[in-house]
Amino acid sequence: MVSASPALALRTLHVDALAMRADRTQVAVGEVFHLAIHIRVRERVAALDELVIPDVGTMQILGDERHVTSSPSGTDVVETLTLEPRQPGTFTINGAYLDAVDARTRKPSRFSANPVRLVVAGGTTLTAQFWEAVRILVGIMLAGTGALVVAALLVTLARARRRPQPIPAAPVAPVAAPPKRTPRDAVLEALRTYRTAPSHDALMRLRAALFAAAGADAGSTLRDALAATTDQGLRTALIAAERTAFGPAHARDAASAELIDATEAWLR
Amino acid sequence: MTTPSPAPASGGRPRDVTDALHATIVGQDDVVEALVLALIAGGHVLLEGAPGVAKTLACRALAAAVAGTFRRVQFTPDLLPSDIVGTRIFDQKTGEFATVLGPLFANVVLADEINRAPAKVQSALLEGMQERRATIGPQTHDLPAPFVVLATMNPFDSDGTYPLPLAQLDRFLAKVVVPYPSRDEERTIVDRFGAGEPPLRAGVAAAADVLRWQREAHQVFVDAKVRDYAVDLVRATRGAELVAHGASPRAVLALVALARARAYLEGRAYTTPDDVRDLAPSVLRHRISYDDRIAIAGGDPEDVVRRIIASVPAP
Repeated sequence: MVSASPALALRTLHVDALAMRADRTQVAVGEVFHLAIHIRVRERVAALDELVIPDVGTMQILGDERHVTSSPSGTDVVETLTLEPRQPGTFTINGAYLDAVDARTRKPSRFSANPVRLVVAGGTTLTAQFWEAVRILVGIMLAGTGALVVAALLVTLARARRRPQPIPAAPVAPVAAPPKRTPRDAVLEALRTYRTAPSHDALMRLRAALFAAAGADAGSTLRDALAATTDQGLRTALIAAERTAFGPAHARDAASAELIDATEAWLR
Repeated sequence: MTTPSPAPASGGRPRDVTDALHATIVGQDDVVEALVLALIAGGHVLLEGAPGVAKTLACRALAAAVAGTFRRVQFTPDLLPSDIVGTRIFDQKTGEFATVLGPLFANVVLADEINRAPAKVQSALLEGMQERRATIGPQTHDLPAPFVVLATMNPFDSDGTYPLPLAQLDRFLAKVVVPYPSRDEERTIVDRFGAGEPPLRAGVAAAADVLRWQREAHQVFVDAKVRDYAVDLVRATRGAELVAHGASPRAVLALVALARARAYLEGRAYTTPDDVRDLAPSVLRHRISYDDRIAIAGGDPEDVVRRIIASVPAP
């Protein structure tokens, strides 16, 4: 069976920017950091599903938030990965990429973000502690400076609103702070994703969301999660998730249906 | 040496053996589970505990529950390999050598105080454990199936003992630490055993049942993530703080085999991360050699194992 040429399936996009950055490049094993991917296109689109996030190797993905902001001048997508390194060493995370037909050249192209280099210290070593201390000091200094900058910006914005602007400036935040979501929201979103595309990754994200809803940390087992909640509906969903995640392939469809039913029942 | 008369049984379930052990042993849930899991996984168990905490009784109860042959060998400094494996005796009537099989040729072998015999005797036993056969003179004999060695050790009286090398300890599927019973359990012990001989529930399963369990447990599904978790746990022992030498790849095999056995015992067709995490201490504790600093600092090896397990996130 020969599939259609990939180029035929590609969208035509005018990519203005594709960048990747980490909020910290010096961390210790077990310390959580964030990796933000920002892409801006001139078209007004509802989603950019073509964006492929990088392989993060042995690092544990604790969160994955995607925010899309559309305006007449284009669309900004900011995807923030919450990561936890498990092994010490120096890592280079390859840039996220997006395949599209370049609106400028009308040719299929791959747009890639810059790679990010990360130094992971083993456990709570002196180096890690030193960098942690430096980070805290810099954080305090930046917080003070940031407060002044924010105040100045607020004053400027207040003045700017009084007179009409010919072209409204579209603020592009490289790392957008995700809105506060409840664990139930996270389960609902993970369930929707799993129902749409029941991949193993989607299943593990749904299971992780259920664990978080029970109050169990990442890296916990089912027993920990069951011990953390007395909610019978959630417990049923947790057990179903375990059976679906680790059960044999021939029993997975039935277990999956049971998981969806149990999760929906809990969400109701 | 004792040999309880085997009683016929078939169609027995692993739970029947667990219940039979609980009918004799007061408390010691971890010990009972480890013995039944080792039976299902086809491995050997090392029991370490103070005298009088029912190590030997647990082994006798297991042997009685599984209607097979049982031999007990009290290990002493003057024991010889032939006392374990067997020997060849010249028969004057026929003018030929006849082979006399040793106590190793039994379904359940209790090696009491295994560290009191010299290294060559330990080696003879451990070779049989690994190869499941023994050579006497020019002939090699297969050991019976199922074949389980339950060895005991007392951690206190170290005078006149021969510590088992790491390579030999590695042959044990699991090492179980037998604790002192709780106050309530000790009261029950007085009530249950004060009148005389402890009750042993015999023949709740046949040797053929055990072989069937072993075959069926081998079919229990192990997801790649659960397998990887077991691998990561064992690898985490290498290079861990206060550890001189970490566990071998045999530890991964043991951990997965025990996880399968646990799932089978609980009636599941698949293993979970909980199986792996719960069983990891019994698989790892005897396969790790500790740094000298642990003795100087008065540290507890069990804490080291707990820390290693806690450092690896479950899938």
